[in-house]
Amino acid sequence: MKNNIKVERAIQNITQAKLAEMIGVSRQTVNAMELNKYVPSTVLALKISRIFKKNVNEIFFLEKGD
Amino acid sequence: MKTRFLFSQQYKSVGWFLLIVGILLGIILMLNDFEYPTIEMPVYPLIGEHDVFSKPPLEWSKNNIIDEIAAILIIIGGIFVSFSKTKDEDEYISKIRMESLIWATYVNYIVLFIAILFVFDLTFFNVMICNMFTILLFFIARFQFMLYKFKKSVTDEE
Repeated sequence: MKNNIKVERAIQNITQAKLAEMIGVSRQTVNAMELNKYVPSTVLALKISRIFKKNVNEIFFLEKGD
Repeated sequence: MKTRFLFSQQYKSVGWFLLIVGILLGIILMLNDFEYPTIEMPVYPLIGEHDVFSKPPLEWSKNNIIDEIAAILIIIGGIFVSFSKTKDEDEYISKIRMESLIWATYVNYIVLFIAILFVFDLTFFNVMICNMFTILLFFIARFQFMLYKFKKSVTDEE
């Protein structure tokens, strides 16, 4: 699964640390998601979509093989 | 984050203290063939054999309880260190925790497997004594190492 958290974050001008605090995870977890090293839970994905005010499937995308 | 089966964060430092004291005591005991230090106490075995080497079951007898104390310290300390929440426990750390536990279980039984094949008699008994605790120790080592790598992972924020 891929995501464009980094892009959305840039649009909204939110740092990794700030986003991490808003969704209640460590900054490293935000970093790992942006690098596609970690697939977040549905709860976390929904929290992120709420912050960016977009649908989940506008932020997260399935890849070939998923 | 809501977690199941984990202790709160304060237990971690208590755990380290108990674990280190327990391990030191255990090492001292092993170096002295479990004879020194000594605190003799009446004990009540629930099961046992009726021969000269053993304490018969269901009657009071005397025993050096230092090895029991060391084992209990290591187990309680090890459990607290392993399963207390980290300061910023989140779902990614939970994932690291679970993967470390699987890894530790494999490594623990691989070591035991090798010992079963290549270690015998009283030496094997000593391996068994260590093996009671190694799954926790392997887990702690792996989990702490992965957490350290995780904490260091953020460097490229613009």
